[in-house]
Formats: sequence, C-alpha cells, structure tokens
Amino acid sequence: MKTTSTWALRAVVLFYLGVLIGLPVTFLVVKALGHGFGPFWSEVTQPNALSALKLSLEVAAIAVPINAVVGVGAALLIARHKFVGKRVLDTLFDVPIAISPIIIGIALVLAYSKIGWFGAPLTRYGIKVLFSPLGIILATMSVSLPYVLRSILPVLTEVGEDQEQAARTLGAGRFRIFWNVTLPSIRWAVLYGVTLTIARTLGEFGAVLVVSGNITGVTQTLPIYIFDSWDQRFDVLGSYSGALVLALISIGVLAILAALKRREKNLLVDFA
Amino acid sequence: MSISLSHLTKHYAKTHAVQDVSAEIKHGSLTAILGPSGSGKSTLLKLISGLERPDEGTVTIDGEDMTHVDPRHRDIGFCFQHYAPFRHMNVAKNVAFGLKVRKRPKKEIDERVGDLLSLVKLEGKAKSYPSQLSGGERQRMALARALAIEPRVLLLDEPFGALDAVVRAELRHWLKELHGQLHVTTVLVTHDQQEAMEVADQLIVMRAGRVVQSGNPLALYESPATDFVHEFLGPSTVFEGEVTRPHDLELVSVHLGQVKGRITSIVSLGFEAQVTVELSDGTSTWVQLSRNELSAMGLRVALLVGVRRREDVDG
Repeated sequence: MKTTSTWALRAVVLFYLGVLIGLPVTFLVVKALGHGFGPFWSEVTQPNALSALKLSLEVAAIAVPINAVVGVGAALLIARHKFVGKRVLDTLFDVPIAISPIIIGIALVLAYSKIGWFGAPLTRYGIKVLFSPLGIILATMSVSLPYVLRSILPVLTEVGEDQEQAARTLGAGRFRIFWNVTLPSIRWAVLYGVTLTIARTLGEFGAVLVVSGNITGVTQTLPIYIFDSWDQRFDVLGSYSGALVLALISIGVLAILAALKRREKNLLVDFA
Repeated sequence: MSISLSHLTKHYAKTHAVQDVSAEIKHGSLTAILGPSGSGKSTLLKLISGLERPDEGTVTIDGEDMTHVDPRHRDIGFCFQHYAPFRHMNVAKNVAFGLKVRKRPKKEIDERVGDLLSLVKLEGKAKSYPSQLSGGERQRMALARALAIEPRVLLLDEPFGALDAVVRAELRHWLKELHGQLHVTTVLVTHDQQEAMEVADQLIVMRAGRVVQSGNPLALYESPATDFVHEFLGPSTVFEGEVTRPHDLELVSVHLGQVKGRITSIVSLGFEAQVTVELSDGTSTWVQLSRNELSAMGLRVALLVGVRRREDVDG
C-alpha cells in the first residue's frame, strides 16, 4: 500500500514539474540550439546581447550585496529586539512579494520623475534615476528585498539567543558575537536567501521595464533584451538564445548552492 | 567571591518574575536555587549574570555593585540549560572562545584548553563537534568553556535537567567533586529537590517570585518554615491535620495507636515501602517503612492498624 501510494505521489509530482518546468525548458533548449551551436553563439555574442548581459550582471553585483546586508540587519532587528512598529516593519518586507512588480515600477517613476518627491531635488544635483542604470538598480533592489530576510528570520528564531548570550558572558562584544557566533549559525540561510535574490535580480522584468525606458544597449537588461527580441524585432532565435543563457546562469547559481550545502552538511548535523 | 542580592524585582509584561528578593551567597559555596517551574529561579540567575536587568534592587559581587555592569564584564561563567554550544566550532574552539576574546597568546590558550579538557574528561574529544557529543559530554564542555575565563562566579541553569537519570547522578557527583577542587562560588538552579539536597551546601527555596526560605539543606529539611517548603523538600503526608514526613510515622498493632485505619495499598521500592492507610476519620495518610519493618509486622492490604508518630530517635 505504502509503496503504491508513494509511487503515485511521485508520479504526480514529476508530471506536474514536467508540465510546468521540464517541457518548456526542453523546448527552449531545442529551439535555441536547433540550428546548431554556431547560430546560437553568434546571437549570444552580438553587441546588444552582450551589453544586456553585462548590465544584468552589474545590477546584480550591486543590488545583491546591498540587499543581503539590509536583509541580515533587518532580520536581526526583528528577531532579537523589541520595538514599537516591529510588526509593521515585518509586514512591509512582504510588500514586494505581495504586489505586482509593475506597481513598484510605476511607484518609482512617480517618486523619481522630475516633479517627484525624490526626483526633483536629485535632478537639481544632476542625478538621473529614471531611464538610467541607477533606476534599474533601485527597481531591482525593491523587488528582491524580502528574500534574504525571509530566509534568515525563521532560522534566527529557531537557533535562539542562547549561543549569543553565552558568547556575551564569555566577554565577546557585539561585533565579535555577530561575526563568530550569529553569522556562522545562519550562513546557509544567508546563502539560500542570496541565491534567491540573485535569481530574482537577474530575472526581474516588469519593474525594470517601467523605469528603464528600454534604451537598447544602454538600459536594456537581459530579460528586457529577450522580450524586445521576441516582441519588437521578431528575432526569435536571439530571444531563445538569450533566454537559454539566463536560464543557465540561474541553474548554475542553484547548483553551486546545492554543492556547497552537501559538502558542509556532514559536519553540522542539527541536534535537539 | 560572595554575592549579595538586595531587594531584586523583575517584571515581565504583567507577571512578577522576581519580587523583592534578597539573599546572601557565601564565598566558595555551592548554592542551589530551588523551586517549581515559574517560581522565578531562572530569572534570578539571569539577574545575577546580568543577562537580565532588574527593575529594582542591586546585585553585588564581592563588594562591587554589579547591577549596571554588562555581563561581558562581570567575569561570570554561565552554563545554559541546553548548554548553548557553539555548534559550528569544535570542542577545543568552544572552550577557547573566552580566552580568544581576551586575546591571550595562542600557546597559553592551547595549554589551558588542554588542561580544562582533561579536567572535564574530554581529552579525546577536542576535535569533535557538539553534535557528535552525548548530552553529558556537552554539559561538561559547557562547564569547561565557562571555567576557561576563570570566572569569579559560576552560574548553572538547570544543569542536569536534560540528561537521563544515570548520567545525571554521575554528573551531580562529579560536579560536587569539581567544586571541591576549584572552590569557585557556584549557584545552580534546579526544580529537583533531591538534586539540590545532594549537591548544594546552601539552599534558596523560591515560590511565585519570592524567597520562601534559605539556609543549609538539612536545616531546611528538618525545620521547614512553611508547608510549601515541607512538601517541596521531601516526601510528606498529612497526619492529624499537620504536614509531616512519612518516615516520622509508624504503624503499630491496632490497639496501640491513637489513630486507627485500614491499609489500602503497599508499594515496595527495594529497601523502603510506602504503606497507605485510610484512617477512621476518612482521611488518608502514608507511612514510610523499611523493608525489615514491613516483613516483621506481616502487613498486608485490608489489615487494621494503628498509626502514631515515631518516638524521637535521639530520645
């Protein structure tokens, strides 16, 4: 009985994953490489594709570390301190998940346009947010903000304060406690959160589209390039090729995480 | 180092965790704070350590007012209920932590860690991780880690609470020995009266955030200040409306006792037996007898017996 139901459940899950992810990705690979590696490669290495890839990676390189630091800080604040407005802060961090990215994009446009609250003073100092990489970074940071916090918070709560208090009674200061005790105990959660943030950052489309102005070669990230190739330039192969590159990068990030995790798991078996 | 607690009060939200507690803990003593759960004993320990700050009152260690000193500067060794091992560090690194914080030379740290590990009998486990240790080993590691900084005071929160009975008894014995070697003033929190009686030379009994009685264990056992202390510190039963120890009662033939009753159950626990008697006034009491007394009297359930207080043993 048990084995039958286990197999049935497995089949359902695999079928589900297959229909949702496996088949579409397979088609993508087939379509991108259908004409051989040569055409794929020349699509991927053409200047606009490369500049889109470069911009996406640059945005990730800036947005991910900032969000990681903010996420860790906010998680510590929420898990370890009592203050008025804690629940509000906790909930605010879910806003980017709850609302559509396009709304975030439009809100950013309103705030940073030449007549917006932040836009007006910034324009005076010659800082341009909209239709520039800066705007893309802001939009990307907004939509990928919650992932580190949401990965860490349950772990911080579960690990508890005992180890930190023990370190304190042994004479350690705040910085040492964070660096030698807290951070090591949440490092997998941090890495997991960072991985999700990278994936979200590289993949963000809606919010970025609104603030970037979609200027080819200047403010076009890889997802926007893919969409542009598909929708505007009818360059289907370019679109497939870009999509495959983006998918491979994300899968690579996940694979690295999985490998690291496996290596470390043997040493740190959890105990009650 | 002596500890002096004066009028300590700590509230959490609406509950009084600790209320107007004053106590003196003598230099070199091994004191147990004893009380049922929720009596405020763990909070009191955290107030001594500085991990919690009192709303009112003062904590003085060795004549120095420590009330507002951060725990990191109090020179206390604190062992947590679940040991709080640094899970990502091996045993040696756990023990070395406090010394590294104090920036001692590496050679000195290595030597001291070696000494401590042999003191707590964990020589072979230096490179093990906490997850690879048994409960008792984790407890000993936590002790070594706390002792590494040569604390003025050692504080232990329910040190044996999470261990099985055999390991528990062993560790208890070992802790008492260790205390005999080191003479560091030690305060431990427990809800287990037997543990407290066995290990400690001073008791502080707490109930509902207040100290009910303190003093040496035997004195408290012999002359408890309240019925609560009486019941909490050892076996007790009610006889003629008074709380009394069941080993202070005896069973005699039915015409000799002032109070008569019928035996309703006999439980043999090796060397001792617990005999429950339903008295003629409808109340019930129990009497603790030795195995020999039980067999000599030929007691059995439903037998009518007399119950009376034992004559003074000394008299």
